[in-house]
Amino acid sequence: MRQPSVISRRVAAAAVVLVVVGGAAACGPADSKDADGDSGAAGKPHKGGTLTVLNSSPQEDFDPARLYTSGGGNVPSLVFRTLTTRNREDGAAGAKVVPDLATDLGTPSKDATVWTYTLKDGLKYEDGSAITSADIKYGIERSFAAELSGGAPYLRDWLVGGADYEGPYKGGKGLDSIETPDAKTIVFHLVKPEGEFPYLATQTQTTPVPKAKDTGTKYEEHPLSSGPYKVVENEGDGERLVLERNPHWSQATDEERKAYPDRIDVRSGLDSAVINQRLSASQGTDAAAVTTDTNLGPAELAKVAGDKKLSARVGTGHFGYTNYIAFNPKVKPFDDPKVRQAISYAVDRSSVVNAAGGSALAEPATTFLPNQKSFGYTPYDAFPAGRTGDPAKAKELLKEAGYPNGLTVTLTHNNEKNFATSPEIATALQEALKKAGITVKLQGLEDNAYSDTVYNIKSEPGFFLGGWGADWPSGGPFFAPVFDGRQIVKSGYNFNSAQLDDPAVNKEIDEINKLTDLSAAAERWGALDKKVGEQALTVPLFHPVYKRLYGKSVKNVVISDWTGVLDISQVAVK
Amino acid sequence: MSSFLLRRLGGAVFVLLALSIVVYVTFYVAPGDVAQIACGPRCSPVQVAQVREQLHLGDPLYTQYAHFVQGLFAGRDYSTGTGVLHCQAPCLGLSYQSDQQVTQLILAKLPATASLAAGAFVLWMLLGVGTGLLSVWRRGRATERVLTGITLAGMATPVFVIGLLLIIVLVTALQILPFPDYVPLTDDPEQWAWNLLLPWISLALVSAAPYARMTRASMLETLAEDHVRTFRAYGVGERTIIGRHALRGALAPVIALGALDIGSMFGGAVLTESLFGIPGVGRELVDAVKHVDLPVVVGLVLVTGFFVVLANAVADILQAAADRRVVLA
Amino acid sequence: MAEALLVKEAGSVTVPASGARPFWRRLRRRRSALVAAVVVALLVLVALAAPLLSGIEGQNPTAYHPDLVDSATGGVPLGSFGGISGDHWLGVEPLTGRDLFARVAYGARVSLGVALGATLLQVVIGVGIGLSAGLGNRFVDQALSRLTDVVVALPVMVIALGALAVVPAGFPRPVLIALIVGLVGWSGISKIVRAQTLALKSLDHVAAARLSGWGPWQIARRELLPALAAPVITYAVLLFPSNIVVEAALSFLGVGIKPPTPSWGQMLSDADTWYQAAPTYLLVPALLLFVTVLALTVLGEGVRTALDPRAESRLRIGTRSKKEAGA
Repeated sequence: MRQPSVISRRVAAAAVVLVVVGGAAACGPADSKDADGDSGAAGKPHKGGTLTVLNSSPQEDFDPARLYTSGGGNVPSLVFRTLTTRNREDGAAGAKVVPDLATDLGTPSKDATVWTYTLKDGLKYEDGSAITSADIKYGIERSFAAELSGGAPYLRDWLVGGADYEGPYKGGKGLDSIETPDAKTIVFHLVKPEGEFPYLATQTQTTPVPKAKDTGTKYEEHPLSSGPYKVVENEGDGERLVLERNPHWSQATDEERKAYPDRIDVRSGLDSAVINQRLSASQGTDAAAVTTDTNLGPAELAKVAGDKKLSARVGTGHFGYTNYIAFNPKVKPFDDPKVRQAISYAVDRSSVVNAAGGSALAEPATTFLPNQKSFGYTPYDAFPAGRTGDPAKAKELLKEAGYPNGLTVTLTHNNEKNFATSPEIATALQEALKKAGITVKLQGLEDNAYSDTVYNIKSEPGFFLGGWGADWPSGGPFFAPVFDGRQIVKSGYNFNSAQLDDPAVNKEIDEINKLTDLSAAAERWGALDKKVGEQALTVPLFHPVYKRLYGKSVKNVVISDWTGVLDISQVAVK
Repeated sequence: MSSFLLRRLGGAVFVLLALSIVVYVTFYVAPGDVAQIACGPRCSPVQVAQVREQLHLGDPLYTQYAHFVQGLFAGRDYSTGTGVLHCQAPCLGLSYQSDQQVTQLILAKLPATASLAAGAFVLWMLLGVGTGLLSVWRRGRATERVLTGITLAGMATPVFVIGLLLIIVLVTALQILPFPDYVPLTDDPEQWAWNLLLPWISLALVSAAPYARMTRASMLETLAEDHVRTFRAYGVGERTIIGRHALRGALAPVIALGALDIGSMFGGAVLTESLFGIPGVGRELVDAVKHVDLPVVVGLVLVTGFFVVLANAVADILQAAADRRVVLA
Repeated sequence: MAEALLVKEAGSVTVPASGARPFWRRLRRRRSALVAAVVVALLVLVALAAPLLSGIEGQNPTAYHPDLVDSATGGVPLGSFGGISGDHWLGVEPLTGRDLFARVAYGARVSLGVALGATLLQVVIGVGIGLSAGLGNRFVDQALSRLTDVVVALPVMVIALGALAVVPAGFPRPVLIALIVGLVGWSGISKIVRAQTLALKSLDHVAAARLSGWGPWQIARRELLPALAAPVITYAVLLFPSNIVVEAALSFLGVGIKPPTPSWGQMLSDADTWYQAAPTYLLVPALLLFVTVLALTVLGEGVRTALDPRAESRLRIGTRSKKEAGA
């Protein structure tokens, strides 16, 4: 994914989580309780008006092939319709996948290796021409071109022949594993069973792109809209994006997007302090403003908390994300489970949570999976450290491991101030482990060097801070890349940090992937998480919480557990 | 003079090329796989290899640099997949991060930086020269000592400390100024000025001191000269002497210094822009460096280097014109 | 910086001040310099005795105190004025609850130490390059002058980030920052030294030495270095505070000193979003930095006047470009 380009000194507050989940659009959670309570969000929504979006990161690469989104993104989803999409509802209900261009969630073959979709009737582009299944096929194919890189890895990994397909530009070849028997039908052939294919089909890569309109890397300037809005202005690679109604979009074919405002004006490149200040002042056009990428930082939250009127305009969201300590058991002394357990007992989650912004912005975590039902959250605490850690227990384990006098280890972290893998968290751990006789040396790396080092098995340190976010709210993309032995990448970015290759775990992952009953699958992901958690390959630290302000006249605030941010397609300003 | 200009020009070209080479080499050896960054962390090795090829990152350093120089003087073509994108000379390449043309990217950031520089310049000139004048006018009295002290304090304060203190006082406590949110001049001149006032004041306060000192020093020097004594003997008033004769002598070095400062300001006031979130050249530089966006970094270093070199030359010429004793080297 | 300006400001060629005693006498006579000297001495003392002082306070700069902040509202310190109390003389940091006094005391070591190292390096390089340019032939002079131009035009930030990326993470960060600041900040001294050398070369006794067959090194050592001492010391004393500012600026931009080592610039950068919720957190390092730099500048002024009483107004110092650290 593209890293958020916010570099203001206040980076901290904004867009933190995007780092792994990526994409201008993928972020934000929302729990509706706070959001609609008694705030200005009440009142019946009406059509009309202009919604202003104040963002720090631009809507860079506004091309469905290039976007890395969770569930189709927020702003992108106004312009790009996809085969399926996320349910636009508050909280847990919003973590469900629902049909969009397709009539249903797809028909799987018996072993879930072939998925067939039928398009709805009456689907049109902004120029009035009809959307066909061939356009969806072409849209997916072009996402394989090196010129249009940036999307999620799943299509490449799952589609037959995807691994070495180079896109339609070189030699004009198509991808045979996507069939379009007629203009309404599209069939996908996968290399292995994937019960979660409907989730994948929410990503913008399944947006239709007519071959005749494709202009390669320039397509992002004016992509052909299939959604309720079309691009009328795109300045500075998405720094200013103006959307207006697409007259050929029909509400009758789209149950998810409400599209209340007539016009959407996205302004980015703003400092996050400026965004939060403008939203709290909420004057002029800012009264009808929201942000899709800027959280309240701890300092700002401290100020908002003291103001009742302001607190009523804060939307709280939960996006599936876990921050944790990662161990590489190939490096001594972390090959010894007792050492890993000792560290698990020694962590002081209260000071870590504080360093991450306090209890309002971070919830202590003891599970790797996020604490949401759709992920199959199964509560467990394999090494109960209490609120502030159990140094006595840790010392005991160290003694058993042969370190009666303590030991010295190096913790690698990111120098970026992101409240996640940042120096503050690292120093909090350093202090906590000191009490258990563990001397922690810190190795802080600049952002890029950090990623290059920790996500490469050749340079991976034994002990580092990591984080993982959901590409969609389910155990599959959350658990498998980190614990599936077949997903260890020998050259290139590897996220299976423990390099765990356990046949039993691999087998269970395969079994779950065969399930097309998503709630049954969720349950088994939860059980598997608990089982793997006992090996102390990671120490879960906290799940972040997003708090974001919105303007006074913003209505119909919907924050799903899928994205964690208010959904622009639901917002009204009249 | 013309041979001086020629040498200066040659020197400038040399300096700029040397700068670009230094930056190229630094970033070439720096860690951070640019292809992986451009492609995204979840890209497969195959995909990363394709991106590396597409960005010519696999080429040896000198080939990459040669392409860059070629683009600078003759322009370059880039593939869009379905067609060709021509980047006209002087082409600084495409950003790895956003695929935008670096020249356009920098041009888009210049207005904010120029706004910041221009306003601050006016303020600090007025403040600096005014303070200098006042302390000469009241020389030998308490006013002069107080002003000298303030000037020293101004010189001692980093801009981010002044800026932060001003934010506390003017934004938080008194609430007379907004936290700056840059509005382009063409959109709304009033809001433009209103929002830039805080950064202008901050910059002016820390920048005015050298001007005050220089004005005072040069004027005192002039006042000590023989012909001024002659004027006095003829009964010319102190106000006329200071305003007409002494000030004139002091102006050349002050203007030369101004040229230097404004030149380096165009390179982006990194700290001021970062502190106040002004979307200018300086902030772009920090961003580009952090993302190992080599074409943007090189482009920005060249543009800022150009302004610095230009300002140096202008300052030297001004200085030489005013003071024949200085030999131009 | 334009050579012409510096040449003018460094003053015309003067015979070095006449020995140490009159220098001290003149310095002592300036009250402001005396006060500044006391402040500086205090700061140095705090820096040296940081462990002792925070020991007396009963705190250390890295210990977390999660119970001293209000976790539910973003981690504001509990208590008034940022949690100032008998246990925490200057209060505690928001979020972490670390002791502010201990942190600024340890931070003083970084600020002063880095600036000292950087200044020494700048003097050595600047004098070396300036002398070589002044004494060498036209080609050497041109080459070195252009090199100086390149260094002037290079943003410190770019170099700092480049260096941070290249140098192994284990390398002590304060040393690295001192090296970077030293390596990019010598142009002022080298220009002064070059100009002075050129001027001195034409003086009779130097010319005579040259005619009698002395080599450039011998001339430099016997005739030039003593004459250069005054302007170099003057400039160096004023460089020192500006190096403190550069270090703070780099740390402020996130490319300087790294946690858990406290540094004033880094504290300021952590504090800058807290200007509304916890102003004390911001004010403490800001005021300290201000006082330190001011005291050093005043002291530098005193030294300059005492060294060269006649050129009271000649030297311009603390150029803005330094403050902007890479602007």
